[in-house]
Amino acid sequence: MVSRNGLIHWKTLHLDCIRFTNPISFTFSRGFSVSSQICQNNWVKAVSNAEKVVGFPTSFLSLRSVANDEISNIAVYLKKLIGTGHPLIATAKSLVYSNDKTHQTRGLLVLLVSKAAKIDQTQDIMPEQRTLAEITELVHTAHLIHTGVINLNTPNVNLEMGNKMAVLCGDFFLAHSCVQLASLQNIKVVELIAQAITDFSTAEFIDIVANENDSALDRWSYQSKLRYGTLLAHACQSSLILGDNVELVEFGKSFGLEIALAWQANNEIQSYKNTSKKADHVLFKLFPAETPINEVISNFQAVRDKHVDAALKILGEFPKNDANLALCNIARALKY
Amino acid sequence: MSRFLFGQRLAMKITSRHLREGYNGLFKSQLLTTNLIKHKNQIQTGIPNITNVALDAVPTTGNLTLRYDAVVRQDLSGLYGDIRKCLSETQATLVPITQYYFDGEGKAIRPVITMCLAKAINYHLNVTSPYAFCLFCFHLIIYVIDYITICSFNKIRSVVEKQKKVAQIVEMIHTASLVHDDVIDAADSRRNKSSVNMVWGQKKSVVAGDFIVGRSLELSAKIQNQEVINLIAKIVSDLVSGELMQLDGSANAEERFQHYMEKTFKKTASLIANGCQAVSVLAGANSTVQTVAFQFGRQLGMTFQLVDDMLDFVSTSAQLGKPAAADLRLGLATAPVLFAAQKFPELNQLILRRFNKPGDVETAFDLVHRSDGLEKTKELAGQYCDDAVTQLAQLSPSPYQQVLFTLTHELLDRLK
Repeated sequence: MVSRNGLIHWKTLHLDCIRFTNPISFTFSRGFSVSSQICQNNWVKAVSNAEKVVGFPTSFLSLRSVANDEISNIAVYLKKLIGTGHPLIATAKSLVYSNDKTHQTRGLLVLLVSKAAKIDQTQDIMPEQRTLAEITELVHTAHLIHTGVINLNTPNVNLEMGNKMAVLCGDFFLAHSCVQLASLQNIKVVELIAQAITDFSTAEFIDIVANENDSALDRWSYQSKLRYGTLLAHACQSSLILGDNVELVEFGKSFGLEIALAWQANNEIQSYKNTSKKADHVLFKLFPAETPINEVISNFQAVRDKHVDAALKILGEFPKNDANLALCNIARALKY
Repeated sequence: MSRFLFGQRLAMKITSRHLREGYNGLFKSQLLTTNLIKHKNQIQTGIPNITNVALDAVPTTGNLTLRYDAVVRQDLSGLYGDIRKCLSETQATLVPITQYYFDGEGKAIRPVITMCLAKAINYHLNVTSPYAFCLFCFHLIIYVIDYITICSFNKIRSVVEKQKKVAQIVEMIHTASLVHDDVIDAADSRRNKSSVNMVWGQKKSVVAGDFIVGRSLELSAKIQNQEVINLIAKIVSDLVSGELMQLDGSANAEERFQHYMEKTFKKTASLIANGCQAVSVLAGANSTVQTVAFQFGRQLGMTFQLVDDMLDFVSTSAQLGKPAAADLRLGLATAPVLFAAQKFPELNQLILRRFNKPGDVETAFDLVHRSDGLEKTKELAGQYCDDAVTQLAQLSPSPYQQVLFTLTHELLDRLK
């Protein structure tokens, strides 16, 4: 009953979010938002099919597990934030309301990898692997929320409130994932996910500026690897450890890394295409200043395609089955 | 053997009673009266000046810091170094933020408690376990065979190493929570220096806090003990749910105190309690001894926080390293206010609106000093302190246990 109430809170919140559209716009490159219409059909199809393979839709994946008393309390405060323009609202909204299937796809990937590794396809995904998929979502959401905290030099009551809620929400997701992680009873998995947390925290402190050893593009790869790669790589690796697919563990790890980088690269391309302020975008910094826009895009598409191809190649090591096919389709949908 | 132990227990009970009554006597005769006199003065002047009421009320207890330092100094000397090392293998720009609060200026009271209790429990298990006793006799007989001694010595050392890691994790998680709390409360100072969010901004501070949590989890995985991981996960989830409880001041006046106590357990005591249990798990304690460890940590943690809440009303900002009456300013009703509300029900209105109207903080501060809120808080802290002592007395007498007895009372009578 309690959890039902929590869910209702979230739903009302989400309705409110839609009703009051945000007056102030913040430019944040947040998570994955593939908004281009052309790719959307391919993408939605690939993800919807994949959801059928693993048995249930992944939207609400993380909310179902945390829709309880404590979070409903936060939801009340979140309502007050609507209209302040704090990025937390955008993140909360995308969690509850996403029909472009671009959110909570990490959990889906983990489930697909778990399923694809099973030689006997009648075997179901283990409950531990489902928990791990949830943890992956929770940890990623916590990361998104915490990086949405705004630096305030002058006191601003509303935005301070937003920051307070963002810290608490993120901490709540992290704490919940800690408990879930402990319940998996596997110390190696705890270590791997903990490393992912330290890695994405570290990523916020990396500048994308070329130095004597690395080009700007190398720095981008390094930052994206820490920010998104480690979590997905370690989550895929962990799910194979839990499933006892010893010989595939390393492939799972590399697949997670490649697909995360391909995904992020695609994401950067989409946001670069859509943004009006091209000079502020991260892609602009990766290539010499005089490079034309089309060339920047095609150069970076090459980077993305390299990662997609690497991911597809690794999938060749997995048994041929529906889950594997679904993973291939998702990877290809990134490269349209 | 058992008769001998019984004798020891009895002696301990007597000692602890003596300690308790000694403390009670001190409490009644000196602290209370001095406080009351001061309050009367304040009522007369009508100005609730935030001064140090208890400074001259508590006799100086001598240099106790040195005494407990001597017992666990060996184990804790490297603590901050280890933590800094653990946090330094990363991006150079992140290092100063994560290490900012590990400057050695903190009381490091949590690792001291954890390590002392670890040693007390190790000692207790070696003395009481029949197996250890047999082993001891065995060693006496064939102590010439060096390698056995070396093996068991190594085993003990590896246990202590793991327990030190727990102490380190406890301090790291605590510090991460401080960093996040400072952002949540928009604090500008801590331990007499600018708070981390003032120096680096909110976003980097929050992420740096996450980094410390991540490293603590990595470290707990390195201990290679599932039960310890469960306890540490419990610490993290309790800390956060305590913080969430703080958001929601229970509307019902009767439930308010219960709510406050639960919040206090989750935010402060859980860290110490579960940390204590974790070191006892590593020592190989059975569930009875584990419960003793947990309960001791819980009672001590409650004492610690109740005293902290009281000091917020009596110490100066210079002593606390943060502004006095900070809790009221944050809209929080702690034990002194809740007790005061029993005498002055008009406080309930202020509690409900979280002291957000001009003058509310001053009114509440004044009413707390005019009520017996501070004495009742100290009395409650005293009860928890006694319970902690009772728990501790169940362990075999050892120098570590003595240090903890002293420390427990010192925490009750501290000024900052």
